[in-house]
Amino acid sequence: MTEMHCPECKTQTEVVFDHSAGDTVCSECGLVLEAHSIDETSEWRTFANESGDTDPVRVGAAYNPLLSDGGLSTVISKPNGAQGDFLSSSLGRWQNRGSNPDRSLIQAFGTIAAMAERLGLVPTIKDLANEIYKKVEDLKSVKGRNQDAIYAACLYIACRQEQMPRTVKEICSVTNGASKKEIGRAKEHIVKLLEVETGKSMEMGTIHAGGFMRRFCSTLNMTNQEKKAASEAVVKSEELDIRRSPISIAAAVIYMISQLSTDANKIQLKDISNATGVAEGTIRNAYKDLYPHASKIIPDWFAKEDDLKNLSNP
Amino acid sequence: MTMDCNIVEEEQLVDHSWRPLGLEPTIQNVVALLNLDCKLDLKAIALRARNAEYNSKHFAACIMRIREPKTTALIFASGKMVCTGAKSEGDSKVAARKFTRILQKMGFPVHFKDFKIQNIVGSCDVKFPIKLERLCHFHDGFSRYEPELFPGLIYRMAQPKLVILIFASGKIVISGAKRREETYAAFDNIYPVLAEYRRGKKVTSLNPIQFKSESNEVPPQGYVSSPH
Repeated sequence: MTEMHCPECKTQTEVVFDHSAGDTVCSECGLVLEAHSIDETSEWRTFANESGDTDPVRVGAAYNPLLSDGGLSTVISKPNGAQGDFLSSSLGRWQNRGSNPDRSLIQAFGTIAAMAERLGLVPTIKDLANEIYKKVEDLKSVKGRNQDAIYAACLYIACRQEQMPRTVKEICSVTNGASKKEIGRAKEHIVKLLEVETGKSMEMGTIHAGGFMRRFCSTLNMTNQEKKAASEAVVKSEELDIRRSPISIAAAVIYMISQLSTDANKIQLKDISNATGVAEGTIRNAYKDLYPHASKIIPDWFAKEDDLKNLSNP
Repeated sequence: MTMDCNIVEEEQLVDHSWRPLGLEPTIQNVVALLNLDCKLDLKAIALRARNAEYNSKHFAACIMRIREPKTTALIFASGKMVCTGAKSEGDSKVAARKFTRILQKMGFPVHFKDFKIQNIVGSCDVKFPIKLERLCHFHDGFSRYEPELFPGLIYRMAQPKLVILIFASGKIVISGAKRREETYAAFDNIYPVLAEYRRGKKVTSLNPIQFKSESNEVPPQGYVSSPH
């Protein structure tokens, strides 16, 4: 119970708050001290399993500088129950019939957002991918190609630029209908386009196995010791003359490290193959290439010389 | 090497002081274009010649092959012809003449016009492994290296303007030259670059990255994990 000064009683009196009318009423004389108080608690509660069309949110999306009008315009939606009322159902149709310069952009952003969601990427990367797509779309030279490949390539480039590379196979897994080859070609095309346009090179840098190590190790539930050892091993392996893709080397190093650990949690070749996207045969071959140099790359604090003898000779 | 009247330009392209002895690119393929100057009936050619194939739905040209020199020609209905597969410029011209002879014998009024070599592909082996990643890093404007997509580094040389595929084994492919001299010049230009990024080379003062140890090249942690 709060106390406020009542002008009628001229003293501090106990005050009652009436929620239904929003009045603050003096309990002694009944004078309404404050009316129309605004309730600032939440209007409704949102649950995860509720359907989308009963969403009472009145706020639209945030301002998007990439769209021509900022994405702030209002769209007339289809009326509920679809009455035969001519005006309300036609207005929506007429608005959509007019050419919308952003239609392809909006579709692209939607697809890129869905792909980024599936990969679990941070919004920074998604926004960067959107920007790249907008730059590419302005140049109008990608109309002919497979659009899914273009969206995938934009996402791939964005990941690389933010130093959080994703393998082409991972990106391929979240697209619907773009092969690794198409994505690769699209990516080369876009990079060339943008370098010519902006005049400065895209800061992407070559991929290293190290960039993928943390992610692969986490997916495979490796211990922190193993993760650290694997990262160090991969760094050392780059000096060796192993002519394999960095991803294959990463997979082989993970396999080697897991073989050296205690028997309980030896990771199967199949699991490594699923986590990295590298075929089992390729991991075995890369392991064969890596085996002679095991002592050079595995750090001393992780495994001693005699432990290395336990490594299965491929 | 045949010396043309363009000898002055050749001297500017080729750095003779560096020419490694006995190591020069071998020409693997020569592609030439030719104008036969007469409209051709591809269906008739395919039917009459034993060594010709023509699938109009697949590709709009007749594909003819001869055994000596071992070459393939794409013959188009407009009278243009592309001759590929020859191992030298001379062979390419000889093969082109043989193809025109075949068509002449069939009764077409062909002429041997505008023979021009469009592409010469050469390969070479420098016999030492190469650190492609470092090469890509320091020649960023010219190189493209995507180990996920293709194991070779694609080097687009500006002068002479052609493409060199560089592999980690030390084998290289030089493509895009219109004259043999350009291929040799490109090789002369790229050899010192390859030698600089040789794997297992001791660190010299030429390398801009300073290493802690002198004997083994250990790229510092910073370089490996954070590309520029």
